[in-house]
Amino acid sequence: MTDALVQVSNLTRLFDVSKPWLNRVIEREDRMFLRAVDNVSFEIRKGETFALVGESGSGKSTVAKMVVGLIPPTEGEISIENVSMTDPAQVETMRSLRRRIQMIFQDPFASLNPRWRVDRIVSEPIRAFRLENDEKAIGRRVEELLTLVGLSGDDGRKFPHEFSGGQRQRICIARALASKPDFIVCDEPTSALDVSVQAQILNLMRDLQSEFGLTYLFISHDLSVVRHMATRVGVMYLGRIVEVADSANLFDKPEHPYTRMLFDAVPDLMMSGRPHQSVEGEIPNPINPPTGCTFHPRCPLANDRCRSEIPEPLAAGASVVTCHAREEGRTE
Amino acid sequence: MSEPILSVRDLVVEFPTRHGMLTAVDRISFDIRKGEVLGVVGESGAGKSLTGAAIIGLLEPPGRIGGGEIIFDGQRIDNLDEEQIRNVRGKRIAMIFQDPLTSLNPLYRIGEQLIETILTHLDMSRTDARKRAISLLDEVGIPAPETRIDAYPHQFSGGMRQRVVIALALAGEPDLVIADEPTTALDVSVQAQIIQLLKRLCRERGMAIMLITHDMGVIAETADRVAVLYAGRIAEVGTTRNLVHHPQHPYTFGLMASIPSLEKGADRLVQIPGSMPRLTAIPSGCAFHPRCSRNFDRCEREQPSEFETETSKVACWLFGGDDR
Repeated sequence: MTDALVQVSNLTRLFDVSKPWLNRVIEREDRMFLRAVDNVSFEIRKGETFALVGESGSGKSTVAKMVVGLIPPTEGEISIENVSMTDPAQVETMRSLRRRIQMIFQDPFASLNPRWRVDRIVSEPIRAFRLENDEKAIGRRVEELLTLVGLSGDDGRKFPHEFSGGQRQRICIARALASKPDFIVCDEPTSALDVSVQAQILNLMRDLQSEFGLTYLFISHDLSVVRHMATRVGVMYLGRIVEVADSANLFDKPEHPYTRMLFDAVPDLMMSGRPHQSVEGEIPNPINPPTGCTFHPRCPLANDRCRSEIPEPLAAGASVVTCHAREEGRTE
Repeated sequence: MSEPILSVRDLVVEFPTRHGMLTAVDRISFDIRKGEVLGVVGESGAGKSLTGAAIIGLLEPPGRIGGGEIIFDGQRIDNLDEEQIRNVRGKRIAMIFQDPLTSLNPLYRIGEQLIETILTHLDMSRTDARKRAISLLDEVGIPAPETRIDAYPHQFSGGMRQRVVIALALAGEPDLVIADEPTTALDVSVQAQIIQLLKRLCRERGMAIMLITHDMGVIAETADRVAVLYAGRIAEVGTTRNLVHHPQHPYTFGLMASIPSLEKGADRLVQIPGSMPRLTAIPSGCAFHPRCSRNFDRCEREQPSEFETETSKVACWLFGGDDR
């Protein structure tokens, strides 16, 4: 497809979790690696919100960090507007792209420097990318940004501790917007916030998206937030994407057994008496994941093939599903 | 309707500071009946955890009970001394905390922690206590309890640890369990399992649960009745079904509408402007009035009393008073 802004192909990330060298020699152990992200591919189209959803340990935050370039991938490729972010030959073009990619983090208490005033925090990207050189112009731009996210222009003189959690997240959004990005990676932007404040931030993010034509990669564990925000959704389990589908399709008709289980587990807020299938087990230890399809120990449809062979992503209707049972038509 | 096991009357929790007294819980009253799950819901800073801590006598100084009564099974427990409250705490009223990793001692096998708790509260031999510990672990759904009892907390996953914490709470055969955000640290799939477990225990043992959480979804799944807290006061109390489908108080209404729905996507979420006031700056009159879209002059002047509506009890001038 031509309108893809971000293309991620066969992304893999290992983390070295070995014991120290001396222990390995004495205890005769090999190095150990944790496969946090395993062969993940997806693309994000211009102007859409692509959400990655999954439970803790599914690798969704690791994908986010690799996409913005905070950690390098072990294998695989990320390209943004057909410029590879991993190829050393394209380093110059990549630098110019950096300005257009920003990130919003989960914890607004940890992601703002407590000793900097808000105007310095928000103007940092402007100075770093030399978007304005004149101090007055920078000041005007900071005021404009703060007003844009629903704060007052004078708030720039304050320190982060003078703000509530929701207001701090607004500051983070203002900082992200400062470099005039096209693409923002949002890693659980509202999970540290109360629901009434979460609604404010989600509304703000949608308003900004339509105003500036932003593209979001939205990481969340909360399915109802994802349903509200996403155009397309990728469901992750133990480092792999098990299903990618348009938001509407996914929520109407989840295909992968894990997606179905996740939906069943969400509390029934409206007390509609939606039937619950009981949920079994927990996400296994990623250091020693199950063979074959990693979901098989918890899957009601697992058979011998699931236990031995890693499933390939296959088109199923409008979505892409990674499941033997779906391929063999055993899901109905 | 059965007897209340717990009655809280005009409970005040306050913190003396250099700048005067801060009132974190301001004259709240509610009952929990035998075998009932009462949900206490509110955003951070609403005073829900402090209410739980006050009931079980675990307020951290300088926080203290500044007034009101807590009556448990016909007996006042808010004025007991440390020695007397020990006979109630852990035995008749138990507590489940949010983080299962910090509520278990990492240096002791879970069996030892369970046996210690059982022996503290019940008069039995060590061998019997171990048998009882195994049956408790079995009851909360730990597979192979005979062998798992000798494991350390780090050998359990998050969900299994929370099950152990629940087994610990059950050790003294309590009549009331205060569960403070019992599923907040857990993934949704595990949360669903813990909710099922709590509901089953409540049904089988006839014990009451005070379920403190910020998650309306968990409440809807579990609770019989709900109390909505805002800035240390109860905004609305009613049955869960009524509160979910017919919220009366503007805050409850806003809270329900601001939750994104899994069933249908909406273009915009209803948002309540502003955020919960700090303790140092609780607004006059109704604490919610600066954020309320339906406020009028009385809300700013006078704190609303509680009014009965068809579906719930609401502390809001819209539902009573002469000048509405």
